[in-house]
Amino acid sequence: MRAYTTARWIVLAVIGIMVTLLPELSPTYVSSSIALPTLTTGLCAISLTFLSTYGGLVSLAQTGLFGVAGLLAASLAVESHVDPALAGLIGIAAAATAGLLFGALASSSTGTYFLMITLALGEISYYLFSAVPAFGLHEGINAVFPPSWLGDPVRHPTAIYYFILLVAVGFHLLLRYLVRTPFGMALQGVRDDPERMTALGYNVRVHRTLAFALAAAIAGTAGVLAAWTNTRISADSISLGVTIGVLEAAVIGGMYSLEGAWIGAFTLTVLSIYGPAFTDRYATVLGILFLAIVLVSPGGLTGVLTSIDRRVRHALSNQQLPALADRGASEQPRG
Amino acid sequence: MNESIVRLRNLSKSFAGVDAVQAVEMEVTPGERRAVLGPNGAGKTTLFNLIAGAERPTAGAIELFGRDVTNLPAWQRARLGLARTFQTSRVLPGLSVEDNLYVAALGADGGHLRFVANRRDARLRSRARGAAERVGLADRLRSSARDLSHGEQRQLELGIAMVAEPRLLLLDEPAAGLSRAERQLLTQLLLSLDRDVTVMLIEHDMDVALTIAERVTIMHYGRVVLEGTPAEIRADQRVHDIYLGRTYAV
Amino acid sequence: METRGGRRSTEGEGAPERGGAWARWRGRAWARWRGLLSRGQLAVGRSASVAGALAVLSAAWVFYQVFDAGLGESGNVPNFIIITLNALSLAGLFFLAASGLTLIFGLMRVVNMAHGSLYLLGGYIAWSLTSSLGVNWWVAVIVATLAAGVFGLAMEELFLRWNLGQDLRQALITIALSVILADQMLNVFGGTAQQVSPPDLLAGPVGLGIYDLSYPAFRLFVVGVALAVGIALWFWIQRTRFGMVVRAGIDDGAMTSALGVNVRAVFAVAFFVGSCLAGLGGAFGGTVLSLAPGQDQVFLVSSIVVVIIGGMGSLAGAAIGALLLAFVEQYSAVYLPSGFGPYSMVVTFVLVAAVLALKPTGLFGRPA
Repeated sequence: MRAYTTARWIVLAVIGIMVTLLPELSPTYVSSSIALPTLTTGLCAISLTFLSTYGGLVSLAQTGLFGVAGLLAASLAVESHVDPALAGLIGIAAAATAGLLFGALASSSTGTYFLMITLALGEISYYLFSAVPAFGLHEGINAVFPPSWLGDPVRHPTAIYYFILLVAVGFHLLLRYLVRTPFGMALQGVRDDPERMTALGYNVRVHRTLAFALAAAIAGTAGVLAAWTNTRISADSISLGVTIGVLEAAVIGGMYSLEGAWIGAFTLTVLSIYGPAFTDRYATVLGILFLAIVLVSPGGLTGVLTSIDRRVRHALSNQQLPALADRGASEQPRG
Repeated sequence: MNESIVRLRNLSKSFAGVDAVQAVEMEVTPGERRAVLGPNGAGKTTLFNLIAGAERPTAGAIELFGRDVTNLPAWQRARLGLARTFQTSRVLPGLSVEDNLYVAALGADGGHLRFVANRRDARLRSRARGAAERVGLADRLRSSARDLSHGEQRQLELGIAMVAEPRLLLLDEPAAGLSRAERQLLTQLLLSLDRDVTVMLIEHDMDVALTIAERVTIMHYGRVVLEGTPAEIRADQRVHDIYLGRTYAV
Repeated sequence: METRGGRRSTEGEGAPERGGAWARWRGRAWARWRGLLSRGQLAVGRSASVAGALAVLSAAWVFYQVFDAGLGESGNVPNFIIITLNALSLAGLFFLAASGLTLIFGLMRVVNMAHGSLYLLGGYIAWSLTSSLGVNWWVAVIVATLAAGVFGLAMEELFLRWNLGQDLRQALITIALSVILADQMLNVFGGTAQQVSPPDLLAGPVGLGIYDLSYPAFRLFVVGVALAVGIALWFWIQRTRFGMVVRAGIDDGAMTSALGVNVRAVFAVAFFVGSCLAGLGGAFGGTVLSLAPGQDQVFLVSSIVVVIIGGMGSLAGAAIGALLLAFVEQYSAVYLPSGFGPYSMVVTFVLVAAVLALKPTGLFGRPA
């Protein structure tokens, strides 16, 4: 038992060290092509996972909000020559505002109806952006650069990698913290039984709306960072295909724990780089993987890892299987 | 100060042509223990839903604590000091017992949107633990609510309603599905409630209901057919007619 | 919001008596904010009048644009007639696609996110039958409709029936299927846009009899077919025993099983018919518009918007929603003040937002 616990800690520590020292350990290619997309996709996915894990809401508007921030920030920086950092903050604020509006509109619904409303709102954003010339139509906005102190994101991604890693870890810890606060506890209550919470004196729509706005700000941050690391963004960066891609990341990683977002984003990024080399029908393979996860393991890869972990520890300790912790608090530590 | 806690005037509710509650008049005074009895389908739960605000009446008016609340949403009525239990346990399965009670205490207290826990939360948590002790769940504080047994979930349900220290408590069949011993504990608990709390109770178990209640309202087909003390109710032939020939739905 | 302490909510009313102007303002603002949030009748009444005013203003604006230059040949009326007919035929397509989605959702609570894929599949089947095999258009459309129905039925039988009641999981399953289907259709039918040629009978334009205008006969035919399908569905749901079960299921899912009918069989038939409607919509859409990767998503999103506007499970709602969406899209693209054309999606957003604010379950939807 102790050996296993130690081994588990060693594995996690090795992952931690690799993540921390990545720019030193690997060629630039790995940082810019794998690490950066993993982090930005993961940040967008975690906004979805947060809503699903603690709010019980599956949103398909996250990429739309990602686009609100990314496209606005890019347009301000490139067309209006606003300082990129300021433009980024304005974009994030706009995404949060849009999130407040979207959230208020969708907040009386849950489940599949919420899914449909957020899909509609996200797609309306997409069609809007692809029609407005100021956002470059389908061409998009090119030569978007991060603030100069983050360096060249393509050739020297070290600085921006550490910056985004910091942002990602920061948001992750913020969300972990948030769910223990009065707001977070109430949000989980709203997830479990909104009618009960109403009878206890909660205006459940306000909780859903605020959670949605917060998730929008996170998705917006992802949008700004993605525009910086790709040095471009277009309406097609938020098409339904991309929306479904983020959903795939969240589902494959596991929608019932925040860690799932990072695992899913990493898995999806690696597959999208190496997959097409093996098959022309990469999208089909991904769809089948997605389908298999939904059918077999609704907890995604995190769910699989957690249950392996529990089984091993159970086998080693020969004790009764501990009751599953609440689906929000996964036992799988961050990786 | 108005002398009644609950005042219903000509209250009606119909669903797709079915009159669930018809022209109900009722007054409940402060500190009263009121039982609402009647066969299944008499409209008792609908009446509770109307008082709590979970449903809107088709006609009539509701006053709580001397104030017209007919158009007030359920969450605002709860903040006025109303708490309720549900017929089937409605605990929050993803939260621990302590967190269930804490969230319930926080609900009436306000400040739901704080992003930093402070001293108030410490106070609410200690109140939550106190409530757990009162309903006999002191040793299950850390358990997830979904792992509780049926009886324990009923206890938690009651704790959730009581922890907010409401002025009016609506209990919808609190004894349903409990063992005889558990029923006795429940009766004791309800008898020990402070007189600041007004209690309205739907119950099929006559022993529990008539031990606790000071006044009883009998409902049948959505109407109030009789109101009186437990002794009057026991003696009244109409009550026997309503219940006889019907299986007790316990 | 209520950071100031644990006072009970009488605060809103108590505040004005307590202090000066600031406290009074705060109390009033707080009460108003609450009123807006509480879905109280006042708030709904107010947004209803705002929505009404908006609708009247936009109608007046369109009216002004249309009749400003008089009724003459050189005025804007002929153009208006064409745009209106375009909107009507688009509404017909939207209705064909959305009615299937709303039927399936209303009865089974399943959001078929692969509905757009079935639409595109129906279109592609009609296209390959007519263009490669020289099959008669009418036969091709019937085959395409039935094929989409069978495909949808297979989806339901293979993947969804095991997960009844798990709404979100079913939605995710259909999303996964839509991803697979989209890639497979790209593989089989290619990435270039295709169009189904209309049958000879309806291939040409017809004269409208005013202003010397003519209009593609096929587009008028779409409106007629949508109308016929709507009426047929209405009869099916209102007047047959099967329809009675469907209506009972829409009202109360648990009740259908109490009626002693084979719920699974009813669900299967509903899914088949709903999928057929998607395929029929695709065959018509492929003739009026075009078939290309991405059209599946366009029609999925349109159907969902239609259903959100009209209300889940309501046939009349699907009709009204399709009309509203099509007219708003067509008119706003043309009649928005110059320079604002690209922002026409904002009008669609306002439409959806207004409906959600007034009636979160859609115009004809029942409260959940």
